[in-house]
Amino acid sequence: MKNYLLNKNYILTVSFAIVLLFSIVSCNPDTNQKIEQRNWELTWSDEFDGAAGILPDATKWTYDIGNSGWGNQELQYYTNRPENVALDGSGNLVITAKSENFGGAAFTSARIKTQGLFTQAYGRFEARIKTPYGPGIWPAFWMLGANNQTVAWPQCGEIDILELKGNQPSILYGSIHGPGYSGGGAITDSFALENNRFDKDFHIFAVEWDTDKIDFFVDGYLYQRISKNTVNTKGEWVYDHPFFMILNVAVGGNFVGFPTSDTPFPQKMTIDYVRVYELAN
Amino acid sequence: MSLLLVLGCQNDDADLQEAKYSANPDVFIDTFSPGLNFSAFGGTVILGFQVDKDVSYNKTAASMRFDVPNVNDPAGAYVGGSYYTSVGRDLSEYDALTFWAKSSQSATIDVIGFGNDFGANKYQASISGLVLSTTWKKYIIPIPDPSKLKIEKGMLFLSEGPEEGKGYTFWLDEVKFEKLGTISNGQGGILNGTDKVETSFIGVNRTIDGLISTFNLPNGINQSVNVTPAYFVFTSSNPTVATVNELGIVNVVGSGTAVITAKLGANDAKGSLTINSAGSYTPAPTPTQDASKVISIYTEKYPNVPVDYYNGYWAPYQTTKSADFTVNGDNVLNYTNFNFVGIQFSSPTVDASVMSHLHVDLYMPNAIPSGANFKVQLVDFGADGVAGGGDDKGSTVTYTSPTLVTKNWISLNIPLSNFSGLTSKTHIGQIIFEGTNITNFYADNIYFYNDGSIIPPVPATAAPTPTVAAANVTSVFSDTYTNVAGTNLNPGWGQATVATQVSIVGNNTLRYGGFNYQGIELGSAQNVSSKTHLHLDYYTSNSTSLKVYLISPGPVEKAYTLTVPSSVAPSVGGWKSIDIPLTAFSPVNLSNITQLKFDGNGTIYLDNIYFRN
Repeated sequence: MKNYLLNKNYILTVSFAIVLLFSIVSCNPDTNQKIEQRNWELTWSDEFDGAAGILPDATKWTYDIGNSGWGNQELQYYTNRPENVALDGSGNLVITAKSENFGGAAFTSARIKTQGLFTQAYGRFEARIKTPYGPGIWPAFWMLGANNQTVAWPQCGEIDILELKGNQPSILYGSIHGPGYSGGGAITDSFALENNRFDKDFHIFAVEWDTDKIDFFVDGYLYQRISKNTVNTKGEWVYDHPFFMILNVAVGGNFVGFPTSDTPFPQKMTIDYVRVYELAN
Repeated sequence: MSLLLVLGCQNDDADLQEAKYSANPDVFIDTFSPGLNFSAFGGTVILGFQVDKDVSYNKTAASMRFDVPNVNDPAGAYVGGSYYTSVGRDLSEYDALTFWAKSSQSATIDVIGFGNDFGANKYQASISGLVLSTTWKKYIIPIPDPSKLKIEKGMLFLSEGPEEGKGYTFWLDEVKFEKLGTISNGQGGILNGTDKVETSFIGVNRTIDGLISTFNLPNGINQSVNVTPAYFVFTSSNPTVATVNELGIVNVVGSGTAVITAKLGANDAKGSLTINSAGSYTPAPTPTQDASKVISIYTEKYPNVPVDYYNGYWAPYQTTKSADFTVNGDNVLNYTNFNFVGIQFSSPTVDASVMSHLHVDLYMPNAIPSGANFKVQLVDFGADGVAGGGDDKGSTVTYTSPTLVTKNWISLNIPLSNFSGLTSKTHIGQIIFEGTNITNFYADNIYFYNDGSIIPPVPATAAPTPTVAAANVTSVFSDTYTNVAGTNLNPGWGQATVATQVSIVGNNTLRYGGFNYQGIELGSAQNVSSKTHLHLDYYTSNSTSLKVYLISPGPVEKAYTLTVPSSVAPSVGGWKSIDIPLTAFSPVNLSNITQLKFDGNGTIYLDNIYFRN
């Protein structure tokens, strides 16, 4: 309970935070940290309120459809059927990966994006998500540069706010891909829950992105800061133009490996909300 | 606020007072944890478990070593036992039993878990078929509901037999309870998580089985744990139709529909049992055969022979499950999800050579779709008495509509002669039911019987004692009368027959072995013209031809054909009594009978040969 209070209050005043930290160190080294207070202003959100079984708001989301493997040798066929993507009637969006033959693929799932509907450069991008699990299951909340129609990947830039390998359901990966550091050479870090896993409850995954750094958060805890200087030692900083957001659950693929006969299906990624902020003056 | 937080991570007085039972998580780290006892299960190799100081995980002081015996090891058939404490421990803060293990060869432990306290085993949980490899790996047995384990004594139990008949060795180490957090919350399940619908009756008792809880392990793979009923809370949607108790035993008490569900902890378990009660149960007809003429496989009326199983669960093609029930004390076999199922009785096999029929009562609660059929197969294991070996004989009879009807008992009395391929009946070992489009049926009163048409080779009873007054009789061969003096019962007529006199239940009886023909020379010529009939009693289990002749000088002879075998009704204990009108022997001179003759085949028993009026 105390941890929960501290996590939720990471923007408390410095003096109070110090008292709390001092009190906790004696018996439980904790993950709390002092971060400069920022004043975020909401620019876009989807709370996924609506009746069960309907597709998400068409003014906010569009679909990638098909089984092209998406450059990652993924095995699923992405559809826009309610079986694969729908509101649950309880204020969540659920993306469901199923084991079924469809369109020449052995699995179905969904991949939704804000491309052409909403893009933004800089700000805080966050989602509250309960992840799926199982060998070969690869959920993601991520962003691509909105210029990707005119500039080839990785020149457009990619920011992965959440990736997870279903055979390691306690470990979160945050990464960026750009020219000079993409694919297996991405700039990346991971965060492991101790004595817990990301599918047991909702967690808040976020990046805070400005002109000279991208900070990666889980439940308000900053686990990775990628500065422009760091990027420039590996390649080119390509994060000064608008990006769009993507939510998907892949099955198989070169990040996570193949599903096995032991992989439980169906697998669901449950998204409570997606919110985007910009820095207020 | 900060002060409160500090106190929150120390023990306070209230916590200490509640902690009546040790929360020690250790079972076996480098040795037995304090208070831990070991008892081997019956039939195990007592010395199969040792503390091993040479092999251990991570070079610690010792491990637990289990030496699985080879098949037929006189010391025992398997290893296994329970490790339990005398005083319970509070395990409610942990979520799994974990241990490191390896084996001398890849192997699968039959069952391993906790909650076996050599008592009620109330909160037992286990994994069946735990696969070990030759390198040390960590294994996790999730706790279905830790809140139940406030006073648990059963820390670890296991049971393992040979692999492919061969013994081997495996080791466990660092056995302890842990709070992992990295296993998902368990999903409880009854009936293995399936939704079942069953027709039932008032008075039926049925146990909810297939109790499991499925967890996702830290590697993303699901693991099912076998769970005892005490972890669940069972509920009936309609207790006026069916009740369910804390052990998951369902009692059907009325007609209508009730759905049995369960909760494991706060969450609904997967799976349900829908009882469609048709009301009062109509039992199968009570068998009426005399017990001495029955070999019973499954009845209450007769003692049953030893049966290996009533459902062999033959992998991989059998889908049939058993949902046997007891209604008002009557045990009924119920086969669900039926495609085929075998009943085996191999030790010993059944000798049905003197049985005429197989009886089975069937009840099919569902509609009989067109194209449905039901097959009954008998398998004789042959002289080797075991399945296989190249000498098995099997044969099948098939039933369809209109024999197959729904919601009525179908009493099959199948003549064994209908099993045309069953050329041997002396080592019957299996009854196999097979069906098409019949998903569910009940079976009761499965037995072999003899309607009297099959008799043993040697009479078990003497021929009926004659009741005709001696004054009206001229006797050739009978213990009851004075026989014609000087009669030669075995004249040398060149016959192959070996004629002897044998005692059947104290009664002197003529026996013709290797029979082709046989004469009787009367001690003196008899005038039987005042008599009306020739009486004789005969017995044969195997003859296909038997004639009797009267002979007068000339010789003049006349045959009369007797019905064989003698078991054909009417007969008494296989003995057939016949009174042949002497007119049937015309033109033999009845005033001057000198000889009798029989011809035919088989083995014949004869008694009470006399003329009467």
